[in-house]
Amino acid sequence: MLDLLAQTGLNAVYAASYISLVAVGLVLIFGVMGVVNFAHGELFMVGAYAVVALYADLQVPFFVAVAAGLIFVGCLGLVMERALFRPLRDNPLGGLVASIGFLMILQSLAVLGFGVRMEHIPPVTQEVLSLGDKVRLPVARLYVIVAAIVLLSSLWYFLKRTRFGWALRASAQDPEAAMLQGISINQTARIAMFIGAGLAGVAGALTAPLVSVNPHMGHSVIVTAFIVIIVGGVGSLEGAIVASVAYAFVHTFVTTFYDGVLADIVGLSLMLIVLIVKPTGLFGSADRA
Amino acid sequence: MISNLVKAGLTRRTFLQSSAVTAISAGLPGAAFAADKTIKIGFLAPLTGAVAAWGKPGLDGCQIWAERVNAAGGIKLGDDSYTVELVSYDNEYDPAKARTGATKLIREDGVSFIMMLGGDTWPGVQPVADRTGMLFSTLLPSDLSPDTATLFAPTEVHPIYLVTGVEWLAENRPELKTAVMCAQDDALGLPSVATYLAAFEAAGIEMLDEPLLFDPATTDFAPVVTRLLSKNPDIVCLDTCYSDYVHPIAEQLFQQGFTGQIISATADFYDQMIAKTSKEFMEGFIFQFPDFDDPALNGDNINFEDPNGFYATYNERHPGQWGAVSWEYASIMDLWKAAAEKAGSAAPDAVAAAMKEGGTGNHAFGDAKWWGTELFGIDNALVGDWPVVVIQDGKAVIKGFRSIPDWYDKHGDLLVKHMQAYDQMWDQRS
Repeated sequence: MLDLLAQTGLNAVYAASYISLVAVGLVLIFGVMGVVNFAHGELFMVGAYAVVALYADLQVPFFVAVAAGLIFVGCLGLVMERALFRPLRDNPLGGLVASIGFLMILQSLAVLGFGVRMEHIPPVTQEVLSLGDKVRLPVARLYVIVAAIVLLSSLWYFLKRTRFGWALRASAQDPEAAMLQGISINQTARIAMFIGAGLAGVAGALTAPLVSVNPHMGHSVIVTAFIVIIVGGVGSLEGAIVASVAYAFVHTFVTTFYDGVLADIVGLSLMLIVLIVKPTGLFGSADRA
Repeated sequence: MISNLVKAGLTRRTFLQSSAVTAISAGLPGAAFAADKTIKIGFLAPLTGAVAAWGKPGLDGCQIWAERVNAAGGIKLGDDSYTVELVSYDNEYDPAKARTGATKLIREDGVSFIMMLGGDTWPGVQPVADRTGMLFSTLLPSDLSPDTATLFAPTEVHPIYLVTGVEWLAENRPELKTAVMCAQDDALGLPSVATYLAAFEAAGIEMLDEPLLFDPATTDFAPVVTRLLSKNPDIVCLDTCYSDYVHPIAEQLFQQGFTGQIISATADFYDQMIAKTSKEFMEGFIFQFPDFDDPALNGDNINFEDPNGFYATYNERHPGQWGAVSWEYASIMDLWKAAAEKAGSAAPDAVAAAMKEGGTGNHAFGDAKWWGTELFGIDNALVGDWPVVVIQDGKAVIKGFRSIPDWYDKHGDLLVKHMQAYDQMWDQRS
C-alpha cells in the first residue's frame, strides 16, 4: 500500500509540474493584459510539434529542441500580442474571440503540416529511477518536474527581484498608474506574452515524448488550466501553482483509487466548491475576479 | 471590367463570341464525363481528430480498392460497366457533423452507399437513414438494432471478435489466471469491456478489479497504469482503446515494470510501440488485426483479393500508416460490389437484399453468416472466423483463425449477461 501511495504521489508531482507551467503562463497573460487566451492549449501543442519537427524528424538533440520550442512559441506569443491583443486592448471580449480564431488557425496549420495522426517521438531516455520495490520514476518525467521547478523559480525571481519584473507586476496591478510612472505597457505586454507563451511551449515540448502529439492535444490542457486558475484565483501566480498541485493530487489519487471518470467529476466539483465558498478563488482578489 | 477590356481593343462581338465558346467548352468535359457511367460511394468517417486513425487509413485503402476495380473494368451492373468514385466527408467523430455529412452525400453527391465507422456518430445519422432508406455500413455491430434495417456490419464484428483472442490466450498460456482491464468510457469502450469480461469468464480467468474506465480526454496514463498494476495481474487488457491511448498505456506499463501478458483489440503502428518500449517487452502482445503480408492470408479460406499485393501498394503509398482499418472498408466494398453485381443494380434496397441472400456472405476471413438477432435484435452482422495476431520478434503474426459463432454457441449467455450489465444490449441502448 505504501508503494502504491508513493507511486501515485510521484505521478501527481509530474502532473502538477506540467499543469502549473501551462496555468502560470495563462495567468501571467491574463494578469498583465487582461486577455483570456483561449489559444494557450494550442501554444502547448505548438511546443510539442517543435519537438516532433526538430527532435523526431531532424534528430536535433532533445534539449536543444525543447529550447527552440520555448523560443519559437514565445515569439509566437509576441506575434499574438502585436497582431491580436494590442489592437483589441480596450476590448477584452475581442481578445478572447481573436484567440479562439487563432487556436483554429494553429490547429489547421498543424493538420496541414503534420497530418491528423498522432506523431511518433522516440523516447528521450528509457532510464527509470527505482525508488522502492514498486516505485518507479521514468527519467523523462523527472526532466519535466525539474524543468518546472527551475522555470517557475526563475519566474518568481524575475518578478520579485528585477526591474522588469516589478514593471510587470505594476502593470498587472494598475496599468494607468504604471504608465504614469513611465512604464511602457506595450513592453510589459510583450514580456508577459513571451514568458506566458514560452511556458506553455516548453511544457508541450517537454511532455511531447510522453503523450500523444496530435493537432487537438491542446483542448484537454486548456480545460485543466482554466479549472486550475479559477480555483487558484484569476490573476494569481501563487494561486495557479497551489491549485495545480491540489488539482493534480486530487485527480491522480481519485483516478488511481476510484476511476478516471470520477476524477474528472471530483476535479470540477472542487472548482464549484471554491467558487461557492470563495468566488475570487483561493488567492484571487475581488478587483480581478 | 468588361468596359476596360473593350477599351483595350476587344470588341463587344468578340467578347460575346469568346464567352460562348468558353461556355460550350466548359460544358464538354461534363458531357464526356456523363458518358462514363459512375457509381459514387460515400465515405463518412473521422478523418481528423482523436479517432482519425480508424477513418483515414480506411479511406486510403478504399482508394486503392477503387483503382484496382476501375482498372479491371469497374462494376458490372447488367450489361453496363460503371467506374467507382469515392466521395469522403470528415465527420470528426461528431454525431451532428456525421448527420450533416450523410445528408450532403445523399442529396448533393448522389451516393449509392455510405460507409461509416459508426459508434458515437451513428445516432446522428440514423434519422437520415430512416428517412432516405440509404444503405449504410458500420464497423461496429453494436450500432445495430431492429430499428436499423438499412445498417450492415459486413466486416468488423466489433467487439464480438475479441473473444477469439482471449480464447487463444487461455489455451496457449494456461498458467495466466488473473487479469485487469482499462477502457475509455464511450460507445466503443463499453461494449468491448462487456465482451472481454464474458471472454475472460468463459476462459476461467479471474478479473482482479472492476474495469478501470477513463475519460477519453485523458492524456497522462500513469495513474491508470499504477492502479492496474497495483493488483499484480498476470494479464493487462487494453480493451478497444484508440491508438492514442494504447501507445502511452503500453509505454507506461513498460516504465512501471510490467512483465506480464498484454492483450488488446488493436496495436496500430506497433513498430512505434516497440521503439518506445523494447522488442522483448512487446513479445507476445496479442491483438486482432493482422498485417496483410501475413502468409496465413494466402489460404483458400480468405476472400480478400490479393491481400499481400494490397498491403504492398498501401505501404508504398502510405509508409508506416497501416492500421486496423486499412483493409476493412475495402473489404466492405468487396461485399457491396458482389451484391450490386448480383442484383444488377446499385439501388440500396436491391443491394441489401442481394447481400443477405441465402443468409451467408464472403467475409474477408472466410465464409460467414448473417447473424446477430439475439445480441443486436437484427441479423445484419456478417460473422465467421477472426484472426488472433501475436507480435513475435517485432512482427505481427497470425496465430490462427477462430470461429466467433462457435464461441457464442458455447458462451453466448455470458456475453448477454455482461452486455446487459453495461446497458449495451440493443434494447437497453438509448
